[in-house]
Amino acid sequence: MKALQHEMILASAGSGKTYALTNRFVRLLAHGAAPERIVALTFTRKAAGEFFDEILKKLASAATDTTKAEKLAVEIGAPTLGAADFLRLLRVVVTAMPRLNLGTLDGFFARVVQNFPLELGLDGEFQILEASAAARERRRVLQQMFTAAGEPDAAQREFIEAFKRATFGVEEKRLTRVLDQFLDEHGEDFLAASAADQWGDAGRIWPAGCAWLAAVDGRAAAAQALRAAWATEPWSEKQRERVEHFFAALEEWVPGAVLPGPLEYLLKNALAAWPALEEVTIERKKVALSEDARAALRGVVEGIAGAELTRRLEMTRGIFAVLRSYEMTYDALVRRAGRLTFADVLRRLLPGAGAPALAQESDGLGRDAEEARLLIDWRLDAKFDHWLLDEFQDTSYEQWSVLRNLIDEAVQDAEGRRSLFYVGDVKQAIYAWRGGDPRLFREIFNHYNASAPGKIVEGRLDVSWRSTPAVIAMVNAVFGAAEVLGASVPVAAANEWNREWRAHTSADEAAVGFAELRHALDEEGRFAETLKILREVEPARRGLTVVVLVQQNKTAAALAEYLRREGGVAALAESDLCVATDNLLTVALLALLRAAAFPGDTLAREHVRMSPLEPWLQVEGLVGSDALTLRVLAEVQALGFAGTLEGWLRRLESALKDDEFSRERGRLLVAAAERFDEGGSRDVAEFLEFMEGYTVREADTLGVVRVMTVHKAKGLGFDLVILPDLEGKTLASRRSGLAVQRTEDRSIEWVLDLPNKIFAKHEPVLASHMAVAESEAAYENLCLLYVAMTRAKRAMILVTEPTKNTSKSQNFTRLLHDALGETWSTGEARWFDEIKFKSPKLAAENDLSRLTPTAWVRRAARRPARTPSALKQSGVSGSLVFALNRNEGADFGTAVHELFAEVEWLDGTGAIERWAALWRDKYGADNEAVAEGLACLGASAMASVWSKPLSELVEVWRERAFEMVLDGAWVTGVFDRVVVERDASGVTTRALIVDYKTDRVGTDAEVATAVARHAGQLNLYRRVVAVLAKVSVGRVECCLVFTRLRRMERVVAAG
Amino acid sequence: MVHLPAVVPPPANVRRHFLPWAAPLLPQAVAWLAREWTGAGPLNLSSWLVVVPTRQAGRRLREALAEHAATRGQAVFPPRVVTPELLVTQAVTPGTPTANRLESLLAWTEVLRAVDLAEVRAVLPHDPPARDFAWALGLGRELARLQSTLAEGGWRLGDVAARAGETCPELDRWRELGELERRHAARLAELGLLDAQAARIAAALAPAPMRDFARIAVIGAPDPLPLALRVLAAHAATLPVDVVVYAPESEADNFDSWGRPQAAAWAARELTIVAFGERVRVCADPAEQVAWITALAQATPEPETMLGIGVADPELLPLLEKGCARVGIAAFNPEGRARRHDGLYPLLAALAEFAAVPDFAAVTTLARCPDILEWLRARADGRFSAAKFLRQFDQLGANHLPPTLAAARAQAALFPEVELALAALAELRTTLTRGRFPSNAAAALMELFAGRELEAAGVLAESAEAWMAQLREIEQALARGGAVVLTATEAWQLALGAFADEVRTSERPVGAIDLLGWLELLWDDAPHLVVAGLNDGRVPSAIVGDVFLPETLRERLGLKRNAERFACDAYLLASIAAVRTSTNGRLDILLGKTTASGDPLRPSRLLLRCADAVLPERVTQLFQPIAAARPSPPWARAWKLRPRVAAAPTQLSVTAFRDWLACPFRFYLKHVLRMTRVEPEKAELNALDFGILMHEALQQLGQEPALRDCVEATQLSDFLIERFERIVRLRYGAELTLPLVVQFEAARQRLRAAAEVEARERADGWRTEHVEWKIELVIGGLVVKGKIDRIDRHADGRVRVLDYKTGDTSGKPIAAHLRSECEDDLDRPEWLRMSDAEGKSRAWTDLQLPLYRLAVAAIWGDAVACGYFNLPKAAGETAVILWDDFSRETQASAEACATGVVSAVLAAEFWPPRELTGRDAQQDEFAELFHGGAEASIAWEERS
Ligand code: SF4
Repeated sequence: MKALQHEMILASAGSGKTYALTNRFVRLLAHGAAPERIVALTFTRKAAGEFFDEILKKLASAATDTTKAEKLAVEIGAPTLGAADFLRLLRVVVTAMPRLNLGTLDGFFARVVQNFPLELGLDGEFQILEASAAARERRRVLQQMFTAAGEPDAAQREFIEAFKRATFGVEEKRLTRVLDQFLDEHGEDFLAASAADQWGDAGRIWPAGCAWLAAVDGRAAAAQALRAAWATEPWSEKQRERVEHFFAALEEWVPGAVLPGPLEYLLKNALAAWPALEEVTIERKKVALSEDARAALRGVVEGIAGAELTRRLEMTRGIFAVLRSYEMTYDALVRRAGRLTFADVLRRLLPGAGAPALAQESDGLGRDAEEARLLIDWRLDAKFDHWLLDEFQDTSYEQWSVLRNLIDEAVQDAEGRRSLFYVGDVKQAIYAWRGGDPRLFREIFNHYNASAPGKIVEGRLDVSWRSTPAVIAMVNAVFGAAEVLGASVPVAAANEWNREWRAHTSADEAAVGFAELRHALDEEGRFAETLKILREVEPARRGLTVVVLVQQNKTAAALAEYLRREGGVAALAESDLCVATDNLLTVALLALLRAAAFPGDTLAREHVRMSPLEPWLQVEGLVGSDALTLRVLAEVQALGFAGTLEGWLRRLESALKDDEFSRERGRLLVAAAERFDEGGSRDVAEFLEFMEGYTVREADTLGVVRVMTVHKAKGLGFDLVILPDLEGKTLASRRSGLAVQRTEDRSIEWVLDLPNKIFAKHEPVLASHMAVAESEAAYENLCLLYVAMTRAKRAMILVTEPTKNTSKSQNFTRLLHDALGETWSTGEARWFDEIKFKSPKLAAENDLSRLTPTAWVRRAARRPARTPSALKQSGVSGSLVFALNRNEGADFGTAVHELFAEVEWLDGTGAIERWAALWRDKYGADNEAVAEGLACLGASAMASVWSKPLSELVEVWRERAFEMVLDGAWVTGVFDRVVVERDASGVTTRALIVDYKTDRVGTDAEVATAVARHAGQLNLYRRVVAVLAKVSVGRVECCLVFTRLRRMERVVAAG
Repeated sequence: MVHLPAVVPPPANVRRHFLPWAAPLLPQAVAWLAREWTGAGPLNLSSWLVVVPTRQAGRRLREALAEHAATRGQAVFPPRVVTPELLVTQAVTPGTPTANRLESLLAWTEVLRAVDLAEVRAVLPHDPPARDFAWALGLGRELARLQSTLAEGGWRLGDVAARAGETCPELDRWRELGELERRHAARLAELGLLDAQAARIAAALAPAPMRDFARIAVIGAPDPLPLALRVLAAHAATLPVDVVVYAPESEADNFDSWGRPQAAAWAARELTIVAFGERVRVCADPAEQVAWITALAQATPEPETMLGIGVADPELLPLLEKGCARVGIAAFNPEGRARRHDGLYPLLAALAEFAAVPDFAAVTTLARCPDILEWLRARADGRFSAAKFLRQFDQLGANHLPPTLAAARAQAALFPEVELALAALAELRTTLTRGRFPSNAAAALMELFAGRELEAAGVLAESAEAWMAQLREIEQALARGGAVVLTATEAWQLALGAFADEVRTSERPVGAIDLLGWLELLWDDAPHLVVAGLNDGRVPSAIVGDVFLPETLRERLGLKRNAERFACDAYLLASIAAVRTSTNGRLDILLGKTTASGDPLRPSRLLLRCADAVLPERVTQLFQPIAAARPSPPWARAWKLRPRVAAAPTQLSVTAFRDWLACPFRFYLKHVLRMTRVEPEKAELNALDFGILMHEALQQLGQEPALRDCVEATQLSDFLIERFERIVRLRYGAELTLPLVVQFEAARQRLRAAAEVEARERADGWRTEHVEWKIELVIGGLVVKGKIDRIDRHADGRVRVLDYKTGDTSGKPIAAHLRSECEDDLDRPEWLRMSDAEGKSRAWTDLQLPLYRLAVAAIWGDAVACGYFNLPKAAGETAVILWDDFSRETQASAEACATGVVSAVLAAEFWPPRELTGRDAQQDEFAELFHGGAEASIAWEERS
């Protein structure tokens, strides 16, 4: 068996990455690694689940098929292994199932934090916030920050000031929304760089000073000088006008706002000649600049730029202050309460964040690294020897930083018993915007190999098992065109791409396929072309899977809508489905809730009136708004939203006829409501908001054309891929938002809200930042196109507008045109002809006929259960129920009952005194219950309760439970006291049931009521005793003992 | 390493009995207990103490005993039936002053807040962010949980360090925990209390003697609490103890003397499931499992007598309940549900919030509690309309955005219903906050329910009892606690949290099928059992990652380990399968591929406990990806909406024309059916509010005679701002929420910019003649009303009408009134369009300014100019913008258009709707009505 090596695998799309990973896992097992010591991490729970399934299936098939076993044995470098060995390994894996460390990075980190909460500054209980819950928390925090009434306090004032500074002059009406956006955009930046001096600090951005900032005060003077210098120029009318407009606009101009046209015009032209500035173009004519004019113009431009920069710096600091203010509240309210997002979890573990658990250094408790390691093993009940990391290009630097120490040990392990294996595709790095750091791939490789060359072995997978040769040909033609790429994107990006690029091949060289680039004139045309392709291919009829990939969710929605509307195609915009709002049924139900809770909402009420709900409201007598409001709110309170909606849904059942879609939506609505109900809230407004934001990812559906963004398609494959949405902006455009400058080790150097590009381009520091950002953006865009083009299994059709239509910008369309020419195609245009209809393989609908039992012995039907004490039903007054000290009564009652249960008979002289002595001794002299009990024992009216009758055989049951089937019901209860008298032959002659009542009844009328109230219960007892004591009902007597009144009442048998 | 036995070995008079899998456990258990009964008298088992694993099992047993006695016309004196848990609790000598859960927790909070952190650095290496009550409570709960887990095995925190062994890397931590526990116990002792776990442990070793029972039987309890076994062992010294194991005698070696499955024996054992390939089914998700079960239940006649449903994955429970209800089958979940789902809970939560801060949000929540509405109605002697109250209440909220109850009350004069209600709520709050918790809470509830009669055994009364019990417990704890000072909010939090987590069980409906938890299945006797959710992690259960007790330590302490959990679950599965095989019954197993939220699940490992030879086959079956069993049906329209027919309006506002021109059908919805939305969580000004405020200030400026000729920007500005403040104060009161503060600041800036422009205009010679000039026109027989923001006259005699525009961006009048023509327009009436000066055909989108001109023509002639006074957010763009070259033709065309619109409205021409796209569609206020096209969504012809 070959020794285990550390491996880095660069796996192109469709090249069997999972195959390689599972092989690695099996190889480790074959090597004798305990499965629980292998950590395999990926990004989504779904992927982790699939990974596990694949391992098992691989082992299972090798265990049963000797050829497969041989093949696998060779692949994993253990050729001696046979089917029996794989069977053994299979057993090993399934037995270890609960101890496997096979999941997501997030999950892994969460587990570590969960085991060290106190060490990480948490209270102990902590909970992971999913996205929707996190959004709710944010709202809560904002609300908290806002509702503080009265004069704004210092913190609030600071917040307002900061917000004004951040948004600078641009007033905003929808503050809440703006803030929300704000937090979306900048929240993460703040958490990554929470020191004030990282934000908008000129000294940090320009350690050597910035010429523009220095010029900020000279603007007005320079403008004057320029005016003077240009006053005598022999200019055309138009030129003069230009310049005049410029000066006018300059006077009005406030930095920070959008540059007005007249200002921008001249600035642009001046900067075009920057920095020499020998001439400037005005109205298409070059104007030479005199010495004075040049100096003045330079002063103006620098002054404007300086003012702009100053403002941006200030805004950046404003943004920081807003974020800090928000984060402080958030931290106090949410994180400290132990509600963390995955990002929070990760941050807790970062080196320097006070996480002793993973640090290699001493953890402040005097533990050395070795001890700290032991502690991890101890707490996690685990030891990690082998690391398998999937989709490594998406790993962020922070994630790596956390793993680094653990993995380092594996790589450095002198005895080679531990290993690292990481796989991914830097060409599919489309998550850089949320932290994915494809550079890590090489950096790690280089880092370890620098000291010990060959430590990590590089592997490459470039054979596609997914795509036909036609598709691969197109991919190669585009992404192998090094020169074209060099011309389309910044050099750095192109170099990076070309360095890792290898031509792909298709595993099945004979497979029929097709790839084409075609044109349409405009968006409508591209949509129409998409429809045309679909009509031609008829995927539903042939059982082919199709995806249409677009760049944005809203395009997906629009295109799906178009295909449905114009072509009757069953198309599904696979953004997350808003299942509660995308159809009439659920929307009507939500309108019902809204109309009830907000009677002023005539929109909702009228909507209900238009729907089949209205007849039901009539039936239920809920037409008046009062009735509707009270009924629905009461339903919601009692049943929850799920229960309420379920009820109304059932009423609508008949209106749905054979509409399975709506039924499904109804079901999803109730399921979502169920999730909401879990939280315990019954707030209608909150519920409606939850529902509006509630989305579901629909499962893979046959016969439906899916329309989705490239990001969502990652990892998936389809028979046919159509790409009709490739127009758009330059590949090298940096992502909007704050500029975040990082150092080599990814720590944040500075943050700045960049000024207008025309300035930034000409300021060396900012320009170099932008160049890097643009290059990164371009690289990510290449990845995006690559991912899109490698989703196709059989055929791929790109529809673009002719390049003359598009601007000169270097976008996807331009790139494709440069690489492929105006049009391009290869393969079989009618590739689909060969494909026979495949009926979708659905799991057999309930094969109940086979299951429904026919001849079995049934068990008895269960009986309704009754407890006699429940029979004394009637209302209880509300104020009694909520009386805080009422239960003293109950305790008292129980105590008295307990005392009486001790007394069998009260015979002989001094009996009462004996009880008195005993009870006082046992329960205390001033015990109320004792006093009451003794008083009762001594009461002459009640003597018959405790005095032994004269019959031959007397039996007394005290506090005695019984069970019995009576009138078809199962009756269960407890007698306070029953006296059974028998004659000498043991035949029962008489029985007396005594029931103690300790509550406060005073008047005769109250006694009568109480007797009446308990009659039902006692008559039931009477019948039970009759059976138990074998006596006729007529010989069983009942009485109620009112202890406070020392009174005994006979209860006559019910007629 | 010290290995301790989990429990003292049982004395000799513990005897095992075996009941074979030839019949269900329940009838066999009954027969075993009643074996000596002759049937002559009652079945008297009152001298027995019977231990069964769960309450449900106990219930089933008692029921079956009654059933058994009934076969001979008799009744039962039942045995005392307890769960192992209860057995331990009852072993504590009555009257022992043990601390209740709450008292214990409060003592923890005190200890934790008082301790010098330097002394417990191994427990708390880092300072907590704040050493407040919440922190202490959280940690206290954690420690209480730890105490209770350890107590299962008879240990206290202080015992661990000594038992954990030298290789335990956390000895310091355990020593410190032990010290904390000592202080906790000391604190309780000061209060005259004993720690409950300590009491249980002590009692387990020397339980209170049992006078009432002659013998003890442990029946069908494969997994009793170790501590309970200590109790039993102690009793066994004096009483005979029978351990009844549900398994054939031949299995005897696989159980220990307490009837517990031996971990070693069950770990590797094969579990037989008949027709595995057919009866074990992997379902896509919970929904599919539910669908499968409900279909089966529907297909089974009298399902109750045939079918048992086991639910191994609790996530399925509520879904199954709903699913059964949907197909008309009663289902019952004997495990009950947490009280946070009780109807009373939301009311309590709302009161807690209200008690904490009387902010408007809290009032809003309360206002929609049915019990509050009921109370308000009772207070008003029935003369109270909930709908009217809420309508007004929401309006007040939207108009004035009050931050607090007090602020709301200050604005309520216009809304009598609301005014009364708010006064009542203010009173309620006084009650809520007067005195101490919990008496104030109880008093408030008494007040709320004073006039109500609750159904005695009803849900609400039952809930209320439970809540009051909670309050009493707190009261007792606080009364005893002395030093503990809780704020009202903390106390509410504590009570509410405890209440929410409590479990409520309800009555079983007649004929319902039980949805049984996994541990109940041993006792169920259904011939056909379906177990759903048999996924790993659910069954067998396993604990991974415990902050204090990793598996290694559990083992050293003899606490229950995963291996024992596995053995127990394996035994359960073996039993429920075997009995059905031998009685010709049937066992089906369903398991999910994913959870409801789409996370992957694995099949239970138990299903892989088969001979090696069949393992690959099983793996293949269980791990196959499954094609979605229910392909989602294509989108379909449930129905078309049928708007009602309403009478045409008798008058129109000038601005309504724009709506008709935009879309006649939406005009119908808005102006004929009068459909408007209530924004439930409005927290800031919307565009309309914002506009109104600025309009009002500007109007007052226009009306101010003293400033008529003022051309000083600062003076104008000061006036505007001063008026603005007044208006704002009036409308929004003195207490402002933060967004309002920011928004008002924005409005002020715009007004300042407006003052500058105004000053310039005045300097140019313009004077305002009229503001808010009411106009009334008759067009096509219909009254058209409107208000002109202002009418200016120039020194040279020119006149102009202006409309203030407070939108974010500034716009030109012509662009707002006319758009370029599109293809569809060609099919529409000619009067909708006009040709502009260059002969290009344009379509009307608004008629506001031309109609203003028309209205003033009688007074000022037809040369009046018109335009906008723009007050956009970019201050630099504040300006008066006139409609350049407004011609006679323009006016004529606009009037023709207005006539056209009016006649269309009168002729009820509201069809077809405009199909909106993109941004317009997103902003469509009626979007909820339209799915897959506006026209397609409405059955216009079928109005009724
Ligand atoms: S899923 Fe939601 S957003 Fe997407 S089209 Fe449907 S309703 Fe619109």
